[in-house]
Amino acid sequence: MATTRPARRGRRLRIPLARIVLLGFFLVFVLIPLYWMLNTSLKPSNDYLAIPPVWWPDEPTLVHYEAALFAYRGLEGLINSIIVSSAATVLSALFGSLMAYSLARYNTGGQHLSFWVLSQRFLPPIAIVLPVFLIYRNIGIYDTHIGLILAYTVFTLPVSVWMMYAYFRQMPRSLEEAALVDGCTRWRAFWTVAVPLAAPGIVAAAVFAFIACWTEFFFALLLTSRNAFTLPTVFRAFIGFQGAQYGEAAALAIVSLGPSIVLGVLAQRHLVRGLTLGAVRG
Amino acid sequence: MANIAVLETPKPAGAPPRLSSFGAWCDRNFKWLLVAPAVLLILALSIYPLLFSLVVSFINYDFQIPGHAFVGLKNFEMVIFDPVARRALLLTAILSGLSVGIEFLLGLAVALVMMKSFRGRGLIMSILIVPLFISPVIVGQAFSLLLQRPFGPTNYLLSQLLGTDVTISWLTESPWVYLSIILADVWQWTPFMFVILLAGLTSIPPNLYEAAELDGVGAWQVFWSITLPLLGPMILLALTFRLLDAIRLFDTIFIMTGGGPGTQTYTASYYLYTVGFTQFHLSQATAGSWLFLIITAAVVALLVRRLLRVEKA
Repeated sequence: MATTRPARRGRRLRIPLARIVLLGFFLVFVLIPLYWMLNTSLKPSNDYLAIPPVWWPDEPTLVHYEAALFAYRGLEGLINSIIVSSAATVLSALFGSLMAYSLARYNTGGQHLSFWVLSQRFLPPIAIVLPVFLIYRNIGIYDTHIGLILAYTVFTLPVSVWMMYAYFRQMPRSLEEAALVDGCTRWRAFWTVAVPLAAPGIVAAAVFAFIACWTEFFFALLLTSRNAFTLPTVFRAFIGFQGAQYGEAAALAIVSLGPSIVLGVLAQRHLVRGLTLGAVRG
Repeated sequence: MANIAVLETPKPAGAPPRLSSFGAWCDRNFKWLLVAPAVLLILALSIYPLLFSLVVSFINYDFQIPGHAFVGLKNFEMVIFDPVARRALLLTAILSGLSVGIEFLLGLAVALVMMKSFRGRGLIMSILIVPLFISPVIVGQAFSLLLQRPFGPTNYLLSQLLGTDVTISWLTESPWVYLSIILADVWQWTPFMFVILLAGLTSIPPNLYEAAELDGVGAWQVFWSITLPLLGPMILLALTFRLLDAIRLFDTIFIMTGGGPGTQTYTASYYLYTVGFTQFHLSQATAGSWLFLIITAAVVALLVRRLLRVEKA
């Protein structure tokens, strides 16, 4: 609790010094690893062990990016990540919105069904991945795109369902009811009335599903190998830095940061909802 | 009665949907058809695997040996009586407890500071949430690059600061290696606490603070008797969600320490991974992951029930 004290006192005395210090400290803490990664990715290998460290290279180089993408198969990982994450996101948003709508409008299965889906979110991944690995090997979809896409769809469904469930629930029913009275089937009322209205919520859920797939490591590590491997698994090559591949590791990290950070910051209005599975509006 | 008759008369004019019998069946079971794809997927790729792994944990599943002999509870015993397993479970509890505790305190402090609007708040907000969108693998990589001896600048900076030569192997020397792991976790997940707690803080009605100010209540007292109680449910939610993710700790361990030195940084997930995928004792690993699942479920039941009680109140 001691940490909160300066903040409150600063507020009361209208001297924002404590606020500036705390915020400044935290901003620097957040930025240091990012800065050092960027610096490392551009640094010629000769500068690696210089003392004092080279804080910014005199002659920035892109050789590490080239090596990371081609020699270390980062580009293949990038393409696989794009394929798998996009496909899983589409499936998760599609199946998730169907289920969320049913839960929100028809209270399907009562509380049991919705909490059963939620409970999936809290299962330890190791308990799922071990048997899925064995099943995938038996039916021959180990190390394939389709295998990882299905795994990621299930992995992201609880969050997708609950985010959209919260969204549908706060939408007025009256328009769909009017459509039904006008003779629409339930499906048309859903597809042509509810879905367009819920589009912002569906997109937000899809963004968070994509980020979750893009940054996921554990499933990809155990369910893929030389063929369908995603970007995060490429980092295995740099463990322990055999041969001091600092620049390559940093370059690959910088490459993979882009999409998820851009999407995340764009969708930050929905962030609280995404982090709490729709429990908090934010 | 008369009202109903009036309501029903316009129906023919409203052109009721003409459906084939299949279409009518679909329309009747609409709500179940909507949940079917998601439910079937979860059954196929989560529930079925879980049941399958329960079977595997009672047999001797080996790629080399044909036929899977029933071995009873032997796989469970192997895990329970493995000192490495027990140490890994303890370490998981300690590391996740410490990390989540630090993340909570730091996140609360930053949330209190970010409560008031000021110039540049939007930009700072966007920067502070960035760690949430980064793969834990990359976070581990970034901290490896910072801490790695001789490459990382950490020892150099500490040497300059302290005036003596610091030569710590942050990733291979205990106890420093624990500090490194916690540091990476705190970096990535403090924004999680911060974002949720900030949402909680901004939803506290401002007139409570105004009333307190009029009554001349001190800042500390305001914090204890207004902010903290009203933030309570949100704190519980943030801690629960975060803790349930923290006990899965794997990615940063995999990248930063590989469980080392020795088996000193084995967490529960990492231990089960090595048993299953580097030693290929798959049955033992599934038995262990069922035990871990049961422990997790107990924690979930405890925390989530609390959570629901608070939300209803």
